[in-house]
Amino acid sequence: MINYIPIINILILILFSFVMMLIKKNNIVKFISLASNVFIFLLSILLVKKVLIEEVITLSIGNPSNLLGIEFYVGKSEALVGLVFTFVMVMILWYSKFNLEKEVEENRLSFFYILINILLASLLGVIYTNDLFNSYVFIEVSTLSACGIIILKDKKENIKATVKYLIMSTIGSGLVLMAIAYIYSITGHLNISNIHEIIINNYQFHRNAVLIILGLFTVGLGIKSAVFPLHSWLPDAHSSAPTPASAALSALVIKVYVFMLMKVLFRMFSYEIVNSFIIMDIILLLGSMGMIFGSIMAIMQKELKRMVAYSSVAQMGYIVFGIGLGTISGTAIAIYHIIGHAVTKSSLFLISGLFIKKTGSKKIEDLKGIGREMPFTLGLFTLGAFSMVGIPILPGFISKWYLSLTCIEVGRVPLILIILASSLLNLLYYFPIVINGYFGNENLEGKIYKSKKIPFVRLLPIFLLVLSMIVIGGMSYNLIGLFSI
Amino acid sequence: MDIILTNYFETGAVILFGVGFATLMLHRNLIKKIIGMNIMDTAIFLFFIAKGYIKGKDAPIIINSFKGVDSYINPIPSALMLTGIVVAVTTTAFALALTIKLYNHYQTVDLEVILRMRGENND
Repeated sequence: MINYIPIINILILILFSFVMMLIKKNNIVKFISLASNVFIFLLSILLVKKVLIEEVITLSIGNPSNLLGIEFYVGKSEALVGLVFTFVMVMILWYSKFNLEKEVEENRLSFFYILINILLASLLGVIYTNDLFNSYVFIEVSTLSACGIIILKDKKENIKATVKYLIMSTIGSGLVLMAIAYIYSITGHLNISNIHEIIINNYQFHRNAVLIILGLFTVGLGIKSAVFPLHSWLPDAHSSAPTPASAALSALVIKVYVFMLMKVLFRMFSYEIVNSFIIMDIILLLGSMGMIFGSIMAIMQKELKRMVAYSSVAQMGYIVFGIGLGTISGTAIAIYHIIGHAVTKSSLFLISGLFIKKTGSKKIEDLKGIGREMPFTLGLFTLGAFSMVGIPILPGFISKWYLSLTCIEVGRVPLILIILASSLLNLLYYFPIVINGYFGNENLEGKIYKSKKIPFVRLLPIFLLVLSMIVIGGMSYNLIGLFSI
Repeated sequence: MDIILTNYFETGAVILFGVGFATLMLHRNLIKKIIGMNIMDTAIFLFFIAKGYIKGKDAPIIINSFKGVDSYINPIPSALMLTGIVVAVTTTAFALALTIKLYNHYQTVDLEVILRMRGENND
């Protein structure tokens, strides 16, 4: 029974999304959506428990042999990433129960919950599946539903951002499908494990084709996950979407494609094959550029949500950097950073939503003195910012520390300078908010203590996200040991 | 040169892909971008189906009697591309709907003009 949890998760989410379409009352829709997500969160815990004992669960759908049927492959990293994603999604839904009405019109409210269910189902599908074409279909479903939750706010800039996102990601999925066509023509398989068995012996005869495939996958999935020079759609899309939607997009959606890239590079090919091509150096270069330029562009932003969105570009740089190192430990840190950043960035986005709602302004400069009005909320924001900058124990520090250790391990010591520079740049845009919020006499003048306080019950989802962030940081040693592709 | 001529399906598909990709990247008009997107998708469908096609063999549908495994083409690429077509149609429909909305708000479908308009009222 537990073996079937991956497919049950996806089917429950899709089934309830169609049930929700038939229901007119928003309160019932909210309840169904939260209940289905909590249920799959519990199922994911069972799955993780099972996978920790059995190492790997494979599940063939449609046909018992993996030559004809679609295969799901759930290892430790897939199960844990799926668990964290469902957890973050439950918290986002809990938050949106109180806060979404302000941003989305009443008659569009139920679409958010429908689309979130389809989105999470497709994200879990991309994580669990071991079949290239199946993952392409899930990628397309996730892109369309992500476009849907951006356009829920019927404003000019939302439509513009969605068009930009849709066109960019169409290019990306076109390239991915072309890459799948190439790999199918070389190997005659779509199952990642079967392709691996064939290509490991024959790649020397098709070096050019393998290089083209690697390039197409990297660029195609790179566009979708906003790797640095291909990120131009991200700030518009993530900052104009309703707050819970931008939290889901920034914390979960872009991560999935990079996870898929890891599966393609290291499970379908192998460390040995990809390291013999120039592509890993290019990925490393893109990651380093993202770490630096993403932060520099975040410093220049004047709006809070745009700044947090650009910070996502920089953080994607860390993940891509970990992949580009091309070692087992680099991949483990990349997966750890996916989890750590999913929790951190979703809490930061949700808190920014609360600030914008309470102050009524999107600008960073209007947040001066907010620490006196909303001390506890800014405290949670500070913890998230600490993690981004890299204060010990929090996940951001752990990723940076182990990335530096891996750089030394592979003999590329100068790269540590890039990690250090990026940390300092992170400090430059997160700390002014915290410092101007809490300190400075002219900032605090005329602000009444706790005047914009939010009841603790409504802060609870964010509190739980920050708490889990600290737990993930504390358990880092055990967690990183579990991750492999 | 010989390789290009013998694999004329693949050559055609890659040229079409290039045409579609260039249209998608270089044109400012949103409708032309969507047309480019469709050309690109069609090129991939052609490439994929050419991979499953064997000259002189039938479609894998049994009429009257089974003629043996050797006399049919590979059905998997065709089946996959059926899904691919569905995905492409959905994306096109969504993109066209967005274009209508965009035109209602901005009175133009020129993406350059629209992107330049940012920062006027709310940025």
